Amino acid sequence: MDNRPSRHRLVRLRSSRCEPPGQRRLTGQEIGGAHVRIGLLTEGGYPYVSGDAGLWCDRLVRGLDQHEFDIYALSRGRRQEDDGWVALPPQVGRVRTAPLWTAEDDGVAYGRRTRRRFTECYGELVGAVCDGTAAASEEASTDLADRFGSALYGLAELAREEGGLVGALRSDAAVRTLERACRAPGALCTAREARVSDLLTVTAHLERALRPLSLDWYGDDGLGAADLCHAAAGGSAALPGLLARHFADVPLLVTEYGVPLRSHYLALGPDTAAPAVRALLAAFHGRLAAEVYRRAEVLTPGNAHARRWQERCGADRARIRTVHPGMDATRFAEVGEAPDRADPGTLVWVGRVEPAKDLISLLHAFAEVRKEEPEARLRIVGAPSGPEGAAYLGHCRALAAQLFPDEAEGVHAVGDNPVSFEEIGGPEAPTLPEAYAAGAVVVLSSVVEGFPVGLIEAMFCGRATVSTDVGAVVEVIGGTGLVVPPRNPRALAEACVALLRDHERRARLGAAARARALELFTVEQNIAAFDGIYLQIVSHCPVRRVVLDEAGAPLPFATPAESHVPGRWTGPTARFLPRTVPGWATGSPVRATRLAAAEGA
Amino acid sequence: MDTRDDRTGADRTGAVDELSDRDTPRALGPLGSRPGNGESGKRRAAAPRRGAADPVKALLHRHRELCERAVDPLEIAAGLEAHGVTDRTAARFRHRDVFSLAEELYARVPRGGEQGAEPEPLPVPRVRRDWVLLSLLPGVLGGATVAGLRLTHGHPRLLAAAVGILAVALATRAALRRGPLAGPPGTHAWRTAYGTRAWTLWLLGYALLGDGLLHAAATGGPDALPTGAPDGSWPTAVAPAVALTLACAPAAWCAHLLSAGARRRLAGSRGLEDFTAAAKPLLFGTFALFLGALTALLLVCGTVLHEPVAYPQTLALGALLLLARLLTVHGHRHAPAVALGAAAATEAVALALPLAGGLPGCAVLTAPVRTLLDAWGETAVPALACGTAALALLFHAGRTLTRASAHAPTEAPD
Repeated sequence: MDNRPSRHRLVRLRSSRCEPPGQRRLTGQEIGGAHVRIGLLTEGGYPYVSGDAGLWCDRLVRGLDQHEFDIYALSRGRRQEDDGWVALPPQVGRVRTAPLWTAEDDGVAYGRRTRRRFTECYGELVGAVCDGTAAASEEASTDLADRFGSALYGLAELAREEGGLVGALRSDAAVRTLERACRAPGALCTAREARVSDLLTVTAHLERALRPLSLDWYGDDGLGAADLCHAAAGGSAALPGLLARHFADVPLLVTEYGVPLRSHYLALGPDTAAPAVRALLAAFHGRLAAEVYRRAEVLTPGNAHARRWQERCGADRARIRTVHPGMDATRFAEVGEAPDRADPGTLVWVGRVEPAKDLISLLHAFAEVRKEEPEARLRIVGAPSGPEGAAYLGHCRALAAQLFPDEAEGVHAVGDNPVSFEEIGGPEAPTLPEAYAAGAVVVLSSVVEGFPVGLIEAMFCGRATVSTDVGAVVEVIGGTGLVVPPRNPRALAEACVALLRDHERRARLGAAARARALELFTVEQNIAAFDGIYLQIVSHCPVRRVVLDEAGAPLPFATPAESHVPGRWTGPTARFLPRTVPGWATGSPVRATRLAAAEGA
Repeated sequence: MDTRDDRTGADRTGAVDELSDRDTPRALGPLGSRPGNGESGKRRAAAPRRGAADPVKALLHRHRELCERAVDPLEIAAGLEAHGVTDRTAARFRHRDVFSLAEELYARVPRGGEQGAEPEPLPVPRVRRDWVLLSLLPGVLGGATVAGLRLTHGHPRLLAAAVGILAVALATRAALRRGPLAGPPGTHAWRTAYGTRAWTLWLLGYALLGDGLLHAAATGGPDALPTGAPDGSWPTAVAPAVALTLACAPAAWCAHLLSAGARRRLAGSRGLEDFTAAAKPLLFGTFALFLGALTALLLVCGTVLHEPVAYPQTLALGALLLLARLLTVHGHRHAPAVALGAAAATEAVALALPLAGGLPGCAVLTAPVRTLLDAWGETAVPALACGTAALALLFHAGRTLTRASAHAPTEAPD
């Protein structure tokens, strides 16, 4: 083996593990190993049991066992920390966590010079936040973004060299600086109205948002040693990635399945805070998002909706690569591949019952359908979500009873309502795939929808679908199902009737939908896409580190050129196909079974 | 269908089934198109049901509250999307996407002038029964201990003293955990916390036993342990100690008044300078109120227990402890630790010098203390030490506790 110093500090430890030679994992120490060391940044997410987006991260980490993951997790609350972690696969090198919900003031009191430095940086930061002239011109907004970025990094450097940033951000100097920025000429009109209590609220919020600056993750034993940072969400999860990029030139990849800026706007509604607070916080989060989008090497939004927000916030279109979230297709394989055995007159709606799903409109549409097709039946499968959903479900039941009287086959038979409300696990629909399989047509009648998971499940099942044009529905369905405007029961009814009458078209659309879903929305495509993006980032912007010997002198040729070659060029076959080959064609059957086994365990 | 052309292609990722294109009733929403582009309007199957000369106006009316209270166009865009408005909907309003529609709404809605309702004031801490009762507990236990000491003799008296002191300590600790005297949540340096606690205990112990010990040390050294009687060889000052334990209640009320008043002034003031100007009288008024309450308590205790009460030193100690606690409560832990430490060290030195003077060749060390004792008596030592420290803390509090950042609402850890 070569005895050159490792590019990674921890690799040496890892390769010293006694493993059979056949199973020994490829490490960066071996020449040409396309082994990427990824710093996975999450916020309130992955390694914690109760985290959101945990399933996606888990699949990603398990699916890419040729790489090495270090997880840097910011936790959201004590309860989350108490719940513990999920089981981690061996490719996770280590996990470092930090609480965002509590701050430890390390008690460092700044001297005069440090305080002046802090005031300058913080003043620049809040000045950029309060500035109301951004919309004036392109140049002005670029200048503002630069100011914000340099102030942010200035604060991070201060925290790294001196510490004590938490206390300083809460201090009177910070409040004073904020007040000055709000009263400065050219500040936002709303910011000028800020009262003392508003200033305090904003200061406290900024302190909380800037807590990642005080973390000790950015050294050579942390994110500085990673080949790339992958932030599993934007916002504060991406902030450590920004700093790692600033301190150690580690490229940053940001995946956003939701838009943090948008959820911030929705969370901080008009009733939650004073206008000045909302304006300042919105401006801060907007600038932070813009900085993340500007500095990220690649942005991978989960759908076109997130992409539009990113573009709107200043992301470079050339760096955006939409990677659809992957879903487990194996549970729907049996239903999807079996011939259609559904009752030809059945419409099925599957989902969580809540007002945004607009079941009322669906019932009205079904009344129209019944005029054309008296034999049609509607099955509404799903549980209510929360008390509001339960009330809505009761309302829908009442409406269904009013619209459709019970029907019986003959004079002596017991009647039944053509609309049935069921839950998964009941006798009629024991599992989710069977619920979908029972319907000739799957209907989606929402008025508000994010990424329609139910629609993708129906596509996996090879069902013909009629959905309303909301959220990412059109993007998901493509041309493989019918789309009608929301809040239009007649259009919905006409589309359903058209499909109910045409068996051949149903079959064609269903097959096309399944093919499309298997191409775009499987776990395998998701993982393959990220693998490709990792390799692309590492090959395009490798981290150049100067390796030092014991005396501290730089070692020339310590990192040979071969270590940057993607792919195992010494091996008999190339391990990674070029990107022109579709992701699903790279031996995915093997991985699919392995994944399934891992999930079953 | 012509409405297709209005849409941006950004959202369409796949080829559209031509059947869906032909058959899908892409019917038009209740809102028609704006006037001036009648080309597509004429061809529509159904005329707009509700008369809408300006569809954006109708939309504006429907989302009036959202638009009026939004702080920037993106907030309107987020709100519209939450109501199910997509780029396709925006296309019906002749807009490229939701963002440009939101910008038009933001620009068209009248704003400025009205700034909505008065912002809600910060939550003012309320008087709660638990801390009111807890703050009374040390005083009650202190009184009970003194009664026990007066009624017992010999070993039971020692036991009563030990039990009483322990009970008072536990009650004080409980009173300082809840209510307005509770420190801010979060971790802090253990050295500061333990230091503050140790110095406080020393100061209280000195108030109880110190004068007698100093007198004994100056006159040749204590011969016996204190008996708890005021006329023994080592007299204990019980009345001031009881008064101080009773003063927990006024201290809690003063801290409550300070924080509640500061919250009210926070909501009412426009700038930081305004707040500082309004908070100064509040702080000094609260402080004076506490001193008055402590004086009254001392008077009562002295009368009831038939003991002479040394007012200056007890008042100085009470003031010092109150200010230290107020500063700690509002997040300034360093200065109280230093001030308490300095006062305690001064007292310790004053005690140590006469004792050290007994050693051969060190007689000169007793000179400064002896001068002091001759001039003002034993009470001068704690009065000077605590008074100076309290004055320094008062000056510090006048600068820090009148700042808005000291009264920022602390987040509750979940």
